[in-house]
Parts: sequence; C-alpha cells; structure tokens
Amino acid sequence: MDTPEKPVVKKPMNPKLQLIISIAVIVCVVVLTIFLFRYPQKLGPIFVAALVVTLASFLLLLILRHFIVIWFSYLHQRELSTEEAHESYPFVSIIVPAYNEAEVIQSSLSSLLELRYPYYEIIAVDDGSTDGTFERMKEFEGNHYGVRVSVYRKENSGKAETLNYGIRRSKAPIVVCMDSDSRLTADALRYAIAHFKDPHVGAVAGNVKVINRHNIWTKLQALEYIEGLNIVRNAQAYFRSVNVIPGPIGIFRRKAIEATGGYDSDTFAEDFDMTVKILAEGWKIDYEPKAVAYTEAPEELLDIIQQRYRWSRGILQALRKQRHLLTQGSGSITTPLSLWYMIFEGLVWPAMNIFANLFFVWIALLYGMTKLLVLWWMLLTVLDLLIAIHATLMEKESMWLVPYAVLYRFFYILIIDVTKLFATLEELFGLDMSWGKLARKGRI
Amino acid sequence: MHFDWVNILATVIFVSIVVTLILAVASYFAYKVRESRRPKSASDLRQEGQTKAFFNQYNPDQPASEPVVADTK
Repeated sequence: MDTPEKPVVKKPMNPKLQLIISIAVIVCVVVLTIFLFRYPQKLGPIFVAALVVTLASFLLLLILRHFIVIWFSYLHQRELSTEEAHESYPFVSIIVPAYNEAEVIQSSLSSLLELRYPYYEIIAVDDGSTDGTFERMKEFEGNHYGVRVSVYRKENSGKAETLNYGIRRSKAPIVVCMDSDSRLTADALRYAIAHFKDPHVGAVAGNVKVINRHNIWTKLQALEYIEGLNIVRNAQAYFRSVNVIPGPIGIFRRKAIEATGGYDSDTFAEDFDMTVKILAEGWKIDYEPKAVAYTEAPEELLDIIQQRYRWSRGILQALRKQRHLLTQGSGSITTPLSLWYMIFEGLVWPAMNIFANLFFVWIALLYGMTKLLVLWWMLLTVLDLLIAIHATLMEKESMWLVPYAVLYRFFYILIIDVTKLFATLEELFGLDMSWGKLARKGRI
Repeated sequence: MHFDWVNILATVIFVSIVVTLILAVASYFAYKVRESRRPKSASDLRQEGQTKAFFNQYNPDQPASEPVVADTK
C-alpha cells in the first residue's frame, strides 16, 4: 500500500543555500569536463593506469559480491531443505491496511480467504480512503468458513499508523503485515510459520514477485525482484539478519513488534525502519522463499522512478534515525554489518556504477582501449546472464526473463542508480518530499 | 568489405550508456515536474498543516461520500 503520511525529516535547507550549492556543483562538473576533454594529454599515463586499476577493482568487487551472495544463498537454501515441518500452527492475524485501493482490495481479500492454513483471521483497515475502498472491504466482513474478517475505518493517518491500528485489534501471537495491492499464495503462511520454531526468530520476510509482467519495465522489475532482492535476502537469512522485511509480506512475532513499540511514521520506509528496530532488539530475522506474495509493479518509467525515489529517501531516513546501530549493534556483529551493507547498496554502489560506466567508456575510447572496453562489457554481460540463470532456476521462474539480463545492467540499473543518486543528494540537502500515491491498474 | 567489429561494438556501448544516462536524468526531472504539477491531496495538505477550505465537488455519477468518522467499525 502506498499511503500518504507525514515525514518527520529534518528542516528543509535554506532555498538560497540550495541554489548556491547546486550552481557550485554544476560549475565544478562543467569545468572538470571541459578540462578533461580539452587537455586529455595532461592526464598522463599514471592517471590512465590508476583509472584502469580502479575499474578493474570495481569489476572484481562486483564478481566478489555476486559470488558471496550466491554462496550464502545456496547455504541457506540447503538449510531450508533439511528443516522438518512445523508441528503446530499458531493463530495468525493478517493485517491489511488500505488507502484508495478500490481497484485491487477485493482481489487481495479473496486471495486471503483461499489460504491453506487452519487458524487465522483477517483484519482489514481502511485509512480514510475516498474511492470506495471501505465499501468494497465491507462486503467481506463476517465469517467465511471459520475465517473471521473484521473491517475497520479510521481517519487518514498513514500506513504505519494503520498497521498499528490493526495490530492493536489483534490478539494472535503471530501477525502478518501485508500491502492491500498484494496477493499471497495459498501455502505462504504454512511455510513461513515453520521458522518460528526458533524462539529467537522475531520475524520472517516473504518472497515478493511481480505479477503484471506485461511490458519491458515490469519484466525488468520481475528480474530485479528475483535477482537483485530475493537472492540477497536468501543470503542474509543464512545469518538470520535479513535487512528489509518487504511491505507485501512480513510475518512477525507479536512480542517482537511490541518490543519495538510498533511502526513509526517518521520515515518513508516504515518496513525497513521496523526491520532495523527488530534487529536492534536482538531478534533474528529469517527469509522464506516459498512464502510468496505477488505485487503489482509500476508499469511506466516515471512511476518506477517515483517508487524508487521514495524507497531510497525512506531508507536513508531510517538509517539516519538508527545510526547508533552502525557502530553498536545489539550484541551481534550481523546488525551493523547488515546496515553497512544497506549503505553500500543504497549510496556507494549507485554512485560507483554511474561513474564507472561513464568514465571507463570515455577513457577507453579516448585512449584507444576499445578492445578492453568490449572485453569489460562482455564479461559483465556474461556475469549478469549467469546470475539471471541461477536466480530463475532457484526460484523456478520463467527462463524468458533471462535475456532481459542484458538490458538490466546497462540500461535499467543505470536509470535506477541515477534516481538513487538524486534521492540521496536531496535527502542530504533536506529537500521536501511527498509520499506520491501510485495509481493501481488492478492487475492482481 | 572489412568491418572493425571491436570499434563498432565499443561505439554502440558508449552511445547506449551515454543515451541511458541522459534518459535517466531527463526522466528524473520529468518526474519532479510531474510531482510539482500534481494537485495536492488532502493528505498532502494535512502534511503541511493546512485543511481543505472548500467543499468537495459533487459528482452525480458516484455515490455521495460519507463523512470520515474515526474508529468506525
């Protein structure tokens, strides 16, 4: 669900100061570019050699990162295959917050009534919608073959508050928080619950997949969810330190949520914020690849940019809020490591990726190193194709997604990284932002 | 005719990366323009501490919206 809510971020910077900084940055970039193009010979062979070494290190880092992720994700997958089935099924409350989701809410609630789980209830909360969401929810209120559906309506106050509202009305020891534009698969709960055998596990992240694979953008996002997000969560789960419990499917132990005091409304990434708080309380967070939730991905470029912009700034806000954990942790080294990894993925890597691509290509052409450029491109492409094959096989996904890996790094990820870079700069300058509700197409 | 495939491929890579970066920056600014033109919703106004000064427009095709009551089951 994309619910508007109040960001409690630092005060916006003085507009005059913003303007001065922006002009200074632009002038510096222009001067540097003119200098590099006009006097390339002044750079000297040492500069070129240093650049080549830097970019080779970038490639090596990329390969190493992929290798580490794949290795630990394999280890976690192996652990999962040897785990025994859960003997008991605790009562579960599923919280469905909704704000202007009339297009998709009924499909979402219908999917919840088809879950193969013996003992659960659904608590749907309308966050002051104006499009008839509440009326559509109301049609589901009552008892459906042993599954109680309760529908509530409250004044608009944001997703975090809406989730807290639902959690307060639940008595179950396990709470599932999801988005109203998501659809859970029938066995999602049964698989996820098994992880709570370990009393130290406070939450389980589910596996989110894109349902609307109609155009190139949604197909690229489908590949990104499989290759870029789920495999990473699988690897982190080997250490029981998943760093983002996704909004479309998060399964929580009630005690863990209570220990954190519930969701906060002071960031634009309440799911990441909650994850960090749970880790900070010393709980473990696992990942279950068979607990699948399908979600509707944005279908147009500007909507994707809008979503990623919000994610990036939200993550930075949550990281700033919990910055003390970067050095202290909660007695475990995995929490700070997990947060540093988030900084690397969210801040360092996008900037490195953009500059590496641009400068390497430019220097290679300027100094006639075209063979090196082609070799570098082919290496990256082969690497991406191998990762995509591995990811699709692991997730039992369609192999038709694999060819999109060629476009993924040199096209899609560059666009996303540019957005992340701008979002980071705006967050550092403290510029205002709004939630920006995505229009749903009703694909689920 | 002899084709220098390496140079052609290198040029294609260069052009595609540059064009993608230009597209990415342009799309980002297009997004910012769209956001600035988007009419403010009730929640945005609430965020800024403002409230709606006027009544909601009546649309005969849709049922009249009910007043929002807090904590209504």
